[in-house]
Amino acid sequence: MTVKEVYDEINGDYTGVVHRLMDDNRVQRFLLKFLDDTSFNDLKDAIDRNNCDDAFRAAHTLKGVCQNLGITVLFESSDELTEYLRKGSIEGSQELLSKVSEDYSNTIKAIARLKN
Amino acid sequence: MRNKVLIVDDSELNRELLVEILQDDYDIITCSNGSQALDIVYKDHERIAVILLDLMMPVLDGYGVLEALSGTQYMNDIPVLIISGENEMTAEQRCFELGVSDFIKKPFDNTLVKKRVQNITEMYLYKNNLEEQVKKQTEIISKQYDMLKEHAEKLASNNVKIIEVLGNIVEYRNLESGEHIQRVKMYTRILGEQMMEDYPEYGLTPEKLDIIVSASALHDVGKISIPDSILLKPGRLTDEEFEYMKQHTTKGCDIIDSMPDIWSDEYKEACYEICRHHHERYDGRGYPDKLAGDDIPISAQIVSLADVYDALVNERVYKKAFPKDKAYEMIMNNECGVFSPKIYECFKKIRPKFEEMAG
Repeated sequence: MTVKEVYDEINGDYTGVVHRLMDDNRVQRFLLKFLDDTSFNDLKDAIDRNNCDDAFRAAHTLKGVCQNLGITVLFESSDELTEYLRKGSIEGSQELLSKVSEDYSNTIKAIARLKN
Repeated sequence: MRNKVLIVDDSELNRELLVEILQDDYDIITCSNGSQALDIVYKDHERIAVILLDLMMPVLDGYGVLEALSGTQYMNDIPVLIISGENEMTAEQRCFELGVSDFIKKPFDNTLVKKRVQNITEMYLYKNNLEEQVKKQTEIISKQYDMLKEHAEKLASNNVKIIEVLGNIVEYRNLESGEHIQRVKMYTRILGEQMMEDYPEYGLTPEKLDIIVSASALHDVGKISIPDSILLKPGRLTDEEFEYMKQHTTKGCDIIDSMPDIWSDEYKEACYEICRHHHERYDGRGYPDKLAGDDIPISAQIVSLADVYDALVNERVYKKAFPKDKAYEMIMNNECGVFSPKIYECFKKIRPKFEEMAG
């Protein structure tokens, strides 16, 4: 699977990211690094501990990474969650969190196929 | 050498993206929160060319870093570029208020980040060099100023010494009173201060008055060239003798003129004026130049009254001491010369001080 096919599958901004990072290979390298990015796990962990500050920061970080890598769908859902958590309470964020989890899972799966 | 870029971001992936952009041109230091960033800045600030700072971070966020650095020399020397996913206007505004140089929003473009970092580091390199140069030049100027001041002080103290030495010679030579010169100086200061306060039109300043007071010691320096037979004659001088005695004014000027280049112009000028003109009269009937009114230098006008007053209240080879009341009256009645109305006004005011000094 090519980098472009991955972006097509997750509705990402391939043109944008290649323009910004200037190189298809570089995009691929950073996409693979995304598999090791801890922000999603940090987010889940913070929610489990009911720590809204940490959850907000983790969501914010996840959002920023996705934004840089043109992972548009996950960026949008994590952005929405970030703004919700900014208000200071985890309560009622369940639906947004589920959406983020779903998008994350789809993204990871698509990127994993890059390895083969 | 400032060639390090400090990258502060809690996401490793973001840090690596930035490292990749900049590693060809700079040495890179990275850290993942604001607290670490401050430690690095405090330790290594002399080598950091620019800080790329994320806003949302654990432990201490980007705002915390900015608040710690804002207004310090660190912030003056090192530009801070914010790289953040924050898209609220208030975030950007707050950062600029805290003194950041630029605000780059995520997603960032490699070329753009590279260019902006380059621009800002070059600008600060230039600015810091300028500041360094200005600092060095200020130090040099300040040193030169200190040296000049030292020279000026030495010169001033030389001037005072020359006058004192000459004054002493007059005192030794002129047996009438060793203390006369000291008292004339004190009367000159008292009257001079009152003139300075009441009549600003003469342009007297504390500095000028110091010079006049110092120079007043030489008012009779010319007397060292007058023979004892005249100078120390008890009783009245003949007309011929008096004409000779008058020459102590111009002879004093000759002595001052014979010492060029060893004292400053303003001291020399004050000495000259006082020597030459302390026997002029406001009505133009004095000597040696028959100057009238304010053609007589103010220094000489002041010293003239001081000299006359001291001569009246003390004993001389040719006269007894007059009581202070009598001395005051004689001066006010023009029995001992004619002075400017302004001098009389001041004399009236400072009469108690003069009488206290006369003892």
